[in-house]
Amino acid sequence: MAAEISVERLTKRYGETLAVDDLSFTVEAGRVTGFLGPNGSGKSTTLRALLGLIRPTSGTALVMGQPFAELPNPVGAVGAALDAHDVHPGRSGRGHLRTIAAAAGIPNSRVDEVLDMVELTPARDRRVKGYSMGMRQRLALGAALLGDPRILMLDEPANGLDPQGMRWLRDILVALAGEGRAVLISSHVLSEVEQTVDSVVVIGAGRLVMQGTLADLVKGDRRPILVRSPRSDELRALLEEQGAGVMTDGRPDAMIVQRSSLEAIGTLAAENAIPIFELTHERATLEDRFLELTGEKGNVR
Amino acid sequence: MRALKSEWLKLVSVRTTWALLGSMILIEGLTAGLVTGLSDIDDLRVRSVATLAIGTHLAIVFMFTLGALLSTNEYRHGTASSTFVVTPRRERVIAAKLVVGLAVGIVGALLYIAINAGLGLSILSSRGIDVDSDTAVNTYLGVGTGLVLGCLFGVALGASLRNQILTVVTGMVLFLLAGTAALFIGNDVGQYFPGEALLALNGTPGADETLLSQTQGGLVLAGYCVVLGAAGMWLTREREVL
Repeated sequence: MAAEISVERLTKRYGETLAVDDLSFTVEAGRVTGFLGPNGSGKSTTLRALLGLIRPTSGTALVMGQPFAELPNPVGAVGAALDAHDVHPGRSGRGHLRTIAAAAGIPNSRVDEVLDMVELTPARDRRVKGYSMGMRQRLALGAALLGDPRILMLDEPANGLDPQGMRWLRDILVALAGEGRAVLISSHVLSEVEQTVDSVVVIGAGRLVMQGTLADLVKGDRRPILVRSPRSDELRALLEEQGAGVMTDGRPDAMIVQRSSLEAIGTLAAENAIPIFELTHERATLEDRFLELTGEKGNVR
Repeated sequence: MRALKSEWLKLVSVRTTWALLGSMILIEGLTAGLVTGLSDIDDLRVRSVATLAIGTHLAIVFMFTLGALLSTNEYRHGTASSTFVVTPRRERVIAAKLVVGLAVGIVGALLYIAINAGLGLSILSSRGIDVDSDTAVNTYLGVGTGLVLGCLFGVALGASLRNQILTVVTGMVLFLLAGTAALFIGNDVGQYFPGEALLALNGTPGADETLLSQTQGGLVLAGYCVVLGAAGMWLTREREVL
């Protein structure tokens, strides 16, 4: 099946600044794709190029194989939420969605349906001025959903959400992808989306760093491993024999292991019948890996 | 049609619209009432027709601003992105804004005329001054057209400039200051400035003889709207939305 979104050798230059540099990637239907990179790495520029809001300097950014502006039914093809602040503060949430629905020929009944989906019905007649950041994010997502689109493009949708809101967003995005939609969400914080995305496109300084699954991103992880065992001295000796670097962690039953892997330590412990209480990468987020991948190129230009 | 409906909803769903129209009515009512009610009776006899156009320069500020907000709110509040994603043929959006500007301009003009005629003319008549009905119709036609064109001017200028404050300030300067300043230093170009064209369009007798005729004034003002409107459409289509 053809990719829902295909970016091919996309380059966008603003004067001296190269915002996007020869970027290529694809986004498939039926999954949530994370579009990751530090602030200023070219994520928003790429999304704007896909939506026909800016013109590429060279290369193409296609939606369902066509430039966005040439799609026969743009609203049914793509639902986009670029910035949750982009609302007239004096308009009600419902009023805001109605102006968009009117432009797209969508009935008002769909507006109320969408408000229900994003759980804003109780606040729908209040002016957006009084909305929290989380409510604005819900409203932006609601606007994107109005046309029941095949593709969702959300720029930093988790920004400003509380943990409850994050879980809600995760559930709804996974459900939407489960219905066969292509969902592309950008973020500069990997931990925000790591439980939501099926695959990732990582960029830094406008260039592609990697495209693959979350597992690909984790592969080659060199972060230290925390091990807790009641027979830690014994395990430590065995690990050091294998060439791993071991440091104590201050607690009598815990140690930090380098130059080894979760699999190797687990196997070694099992072979020697040593109980393990805890075996984990020292930090449970992928942030370090992300920074490792993008850090070199991640400087804002 | 879709864009038109959307633009109309944008206009009526914010309080600013009603606040601007309300302020215009209030100020026009006050001006017309005070001038006709308190002016020296001999003075009024000479200048009675001029009172029909009293306060148009204040009214135009409100109508122009209303038009300017129609276009520039998209950039001021960042809704331009979603507007142009939903309607990728951006010139349609600007065309719809111009039509809505025309409609609200007509509403504003009718309100102005209703207030001025209702209050000003009846006070004049109670003070024993009768205004010739042909003259009144002619003046109101000019004043009304001026207010409609002022609103369209705001939409068109805003679509070209995008920045809200810049648009409003530019409009104020063009309507209230620039022409007068140019005329004052003896430059014939001044009469073609929007503010002077508006004065001519009001067609108040006794107006400065350096002004254009009423029809010419209207045509000059309409010309500005056409040129700026076309520029706004073209620029909106060509410019990137950041």
